[in-house]
Amino acid sequence: MSEPLGPIPAATCVLVSGGSRGLGLALVTDALARGANVATFARTVTPELKELALQHPTSLHVGSVDVTDTAGLTAFIRESAAKLGPIDALVNNAAIGQDSLHIHTSPEQIAALVATNLTAPLLLTRAVLRHIMARGGRGRIVMVTSVCAQRGYSGLVAYSATKGGLDSAVRTLAREMHGRVLINSVAPGFFASEMSSVLGPDQLETITRRTPSGRLVEPENILPVVRSLLFEDTNFNGQVLTVDGGSSI
Amino acid sequence: MSALSRDQLRTMMGDVLEAQGKTIPSSDDSPLDEIGFRSLDFSELALRVEDELGSELNFDAPGLRAIETVGDVLEFLEQLQLA
Repeated sequence: MSEPLGPIPAATCVLVSGGSRGLGLALVTDALARGANVATFARTVTPELKELALQHPTSLHVGSVDVTDTAGLTAFIRESAAKLGPIDALVNNAAIGQDSLHIHTSPEQIAALVATNLTAPLLLTRAVLRHIMARGGRGRIVMVTSVCAQRGYSGLVAYSATKGGLDSAVRTLAREMHGRVLINSVAPGFFASEMSSVLGPDQLETITRRTPSGRLVEPENILPVVRSLLFEDTNFNGQVLTVDGGSSI
Repeated sequence: MSALSRDQLRTMMGDVLEAQGKTIPSSDDSPLDEIGFRSLDFSELALRVEDELGSELNFDAPGLRAIETVGDVLEFLEQLQLA
């Protein structure tokens, strides 16, 4: 029988997909503040991300890459490792949304959702795991999924399927990697900002009242959860951590 | 097939309502919640229109949420046919 491996060290170099805005940008900023080197990419590099790169010239590497561009991602991982050192953590954050009933969502839209939200993170995870394993390393992977993988919400059929697919993959990957890599999902509820863009004040108030914590989720609520999965010795592995104020219980 | 006219759309909306024992009101200003025309009824109507056109009219939910009256339904379907 093999010896126990002991705790996986805190991440030192984190790859974050979709780090140009919103939660992704906040995750990049948070990992930098924790002292990690960070590589991130997005289809479009925003002025906010460019500014952050100027502030962290040696610890942040930024690229303009589409998450579905497999060859581009392989090259980006190589560039990032050359500049920052070996990558030992990944946050799969990049995703596209949906707001249409399944019967009125075109086959092309469904294919795009699956390509971006499921196939791309699986391939990126594969690439990072190969990168870690080839160096005899250990690491941590976090999937940003969604509470809608666990509960039914109208207008999100394909989106929910992709997020549920990632949650399933997390459990199997945790088994496959056998303690060499910790792999977990963080499943946010609907962010207050997202809800307010599609719902009226009355509906928002009702949903807030029905949320046991009495408040909707903010990106700031996600940061400490991802941070602990990347940097702390939690021993979480193959889990889905739902952050929704208890609205799904 | 060419785009359906507003009158044809109104007739088809009436068919959807009639199948539920309801009647389409004469006024385009009639609120949908008063006549019990729900979002899935709109979906059914859109699919019937697609059958007539021979092509799909895919659309996001935000456009659907803005629909409040009979006239809104007809205008939304007219716009979808032009898109």
